[in-house]
Amino acid sequence: MITLPLTTTGFGIVPLTAEVMTLSNLAGVWVSIFLTLAIFSFLYEDNPIYKLAEHIFLGISIAIGATEIYFGVFKPNLIDKLAEGRLLSIIPLMLLVMLLLKVTKKLDYMAKVPIAFIVAAFAGVKLTGEANANLMTQVAQTMPDLPAVYEEHGIWSWDADGAGVFSSIFLVLGLCACLLHFYFSARQTKSMAVVSKVGIIVLMLSFGASFGYTVMGRISLAIGRAQELLGLDKPPIEMTIGAGGDPINRMSLVRMMSLTTLIIIIVFLAVWQKKRNHQED
Amino acid sequence: MYQFLKRFQSLDRRWVFLGMAISIVLPMLFPVHFPTKVDERVQSLYDRLEELEPGDKVFVSADFDPASRPELEPFFRANLHHMFSRDVDIVIGSLWPFAPPLVTPMIEDLAAQHGAVYGEDYAFLGFKMGNELAIKMIGDDIIKAFPVDSRENVTADLPIMNGIRQAQDFELIMSVSAGFPGTKEYVLQIQGQYNLEIASSTTAVSTPDYVPFYKAGQLFGLAGGMPGSAHYEQLVYEDYPVEGVRMMATQALDVLNLGHLYIIILIVFGNIAFFLTREVEE
Amino acid sequence: MKRTVPLIISFIVGLVMVGEFFIPHYKYRAVTSELLEWGLILAAGAFILGLVNLVQVNLPVVIQKKEDWGYKLVMLITLVVTLLIGIYSGTGRQDDGEHYKWLFDYMFVPLNATMFALLAFYIASAAFRAFRARNLEATLLLAAAILVMLARVPIGEAIPVVGDYLPKVMNWIMDVPNIAGRRAIFIGAALGAVSTGLRVILGLERSHLGGE
Repeated sequence: MITLPLTTTGFGIVPLTAEVMTLSNLAGVWVSIFLTLAIFSFLYEDNPIYKLAEHIFLGISIAIGATEIYFGVFKPNLIDKLAEGRLLSIIPLMLLVMLLLKVTKKLDYMAKVPIAFIVAAFAGVKLTGEANANLMTQVAQTMPDLPAVYEEHGIWSWDADGAGVFSSIFLVLGLCACLLHFYFSARQTKSMAVVSKVGIIVLMLSFGASFGYTVMGRISLAIGRAQELLGLDKPPIEMTIGAGGDPINRMSLVRMMSLTTLIIIIVFLAVWQKKRNHQED
Repeated sequence: MYQFLKRFQSLDRRWVFLGMAISIVLPMLFPVHFPTKVDERVQSLYDRLEELEPGDKVFVSADFDPASRPELEPFFRANLHHMFSRDVDIVIGSLWPFAPPLVTPMIEDLAAQHGAVYGEDYAFLGFKMGNELAIKMIGDDIIKAFPVDSRENVTADLPIMNGIRQAQDFELIMSVSAGFPGTKEYVLQIQGQYNLEIASSTTAVSTPDYVPFYKAGQLFGLAGGMPGSAHYEQLVYEDYPVEGVRMMATQALDVLNLGHLYIIILIVFGNIAFFLTREVEE
Repeated sequence: MKRTVPLIISFIVGLVMVGEFFIPHYKYRAVTSELLEWGLILAAGAFILGLVNLVQVNLPVVIQKKEDWGYKLVMLITLVVTLLIGIYSGTGRQDDGEHYKWLFDYMFVPLNATMFALLAFYIASAAFRAFRARNLEATLLLAAAILVMLARVPIGEAIPVVGDYLPKVMNWIMDVPNIAGRRAIFIGAALGAVSTGLRVILGLERSHLGGE
């Protein structure tokens, strides 16, 4: 490894050291860039490159999930325990086999037992969790201690982002209006219609905030991909391809690879589109 | 004018996509930095972690995948750096199958930077499937849930797990969560039952859902999306600086500026065109 | 009989799990811990069932060379190769230089991340074509969205005069109407979850058990 002088970059002070990039890593970076742009090609149109990438994704994601599940659950919680001679572990093994029999036509009824077990287990666990955390705690916390709120923030406090008696009352009334709006089977009298309208307004403000955050979240994901395609996910260190090669800036290398792959994909799409138009004619 | 507005409204969406791509790439190539104020929910999270003493044990649930990496990895790294800097013992687990291969290099990288010893200063228990059932087991008996760790060491034999049997034996729980199962399930299943202190770093999409939990005191801190991670990065690296650190979320926040402006412009111009054409049609 | 046994199991397991919240006795907890572990194993089994089903559906397409059989073949090959490499690599599968790690870092990560990154572009398209302020409710929704989008990024705070108040208004929206709306939804969902949970445990809900 060659040690070069320190320099300032957009990442702060980074020692420029030439790292050796193996051919395997280089191939990996190419594949990574190709697959990224292949998926992005869907933005133009559904095409064979995208379909190929999509099916590779399906296969690899299920395989990785199954591998991690094997090492994370089956091996420590079942196989190793059976190997130690723990007889009680035979029961989950039997249930598991019965569950897997669902793929057969003759014996698929056997899967009802493990399915009943797991559905009931989740139902029991969710029942208490939702009742305690969502029902009781949330309702309890909605009821404000108005004298204490008034003492701390007054009617309205800009410094505390609008906290105060007004906001506390607005929250309670807004919550009640939303709950009454969800009571769809209630008779729609004039007063009920007004309450329902208030509930909808509160919900729209809530969903608007959600939408704003959703936009932020989605763009963040695209930023992550762009950072990788532009080589900004790692410091712009010098690299050599294999030991003894000329040093090249990693960021420049990645950008060159991205541009080349993009041009190849564009050319492919143009040719494919032309062929399709020709066939349609 | 009417024809132009009509055509504008039915603009091929690929031009919109191209505009989105430009609004993401341009600020990356020509960054413009604006300062930002730290959110109160992130400050609250940071302040509580600052109260941790050396030797305190914290459970970190790393529940994210490559898709949510841009939002959560900066927080995760900063969080581990923060706790390692305070000599806090960290036990990490995961409920997402795609998390272990993703977070293992991050954990090892940060542990190496701080000279942390596996099994004494930190441990990675690996992945457990089962959603709410797995969380319930972490609450009841974490040793039974994770009989071996990610390196197939017996969990009960690890020095760091001395005195740890249930979730309530940890000082607090840090949930780095991209969705289901994650923070919400921790709050619903075990926070109330065991009166646990839980904080969350989550994606922007989930943040509005978790604000009620924060306000109700069920979470002591909430870092939402890229801004949350960026604010936390700023706080951590100001007090615990690292030479050459890459504050990825802070840099990404500068890119978000133009992205958001682009969406706002699309909404506004789309509506202007809609109303003007509707007026003409009426 | 085919339904009675599962219903009895549903009742017993459900009741034991509900009791776990109220009974802290260590012997009771030992029973629930064991049942929870069985639940984990079965939940993992459900994933494997999905894998088997995937192969069951796609293998005939490949053998009979139906539409898109080439892509299905690629998918199945990728699945088998990755699975074999993963299982064979064992505990050290995430070490540097391992094939499994290469597959994860250079194939799975970009594919997974990019699939979701597409959404950024679709949300831009939706914002332009579909989000119309046709009435008061839609206008409020869009106004709140625009406010949140501006206030959550540094450029919003940099706007003169308004910039100081934007984050405050956004925080107020998050802390008051957002919480009111979310809590209403949570309370409604919690009531639904409690009633559905009770129906499953008491055997009134049997759709998950299918036909006879």
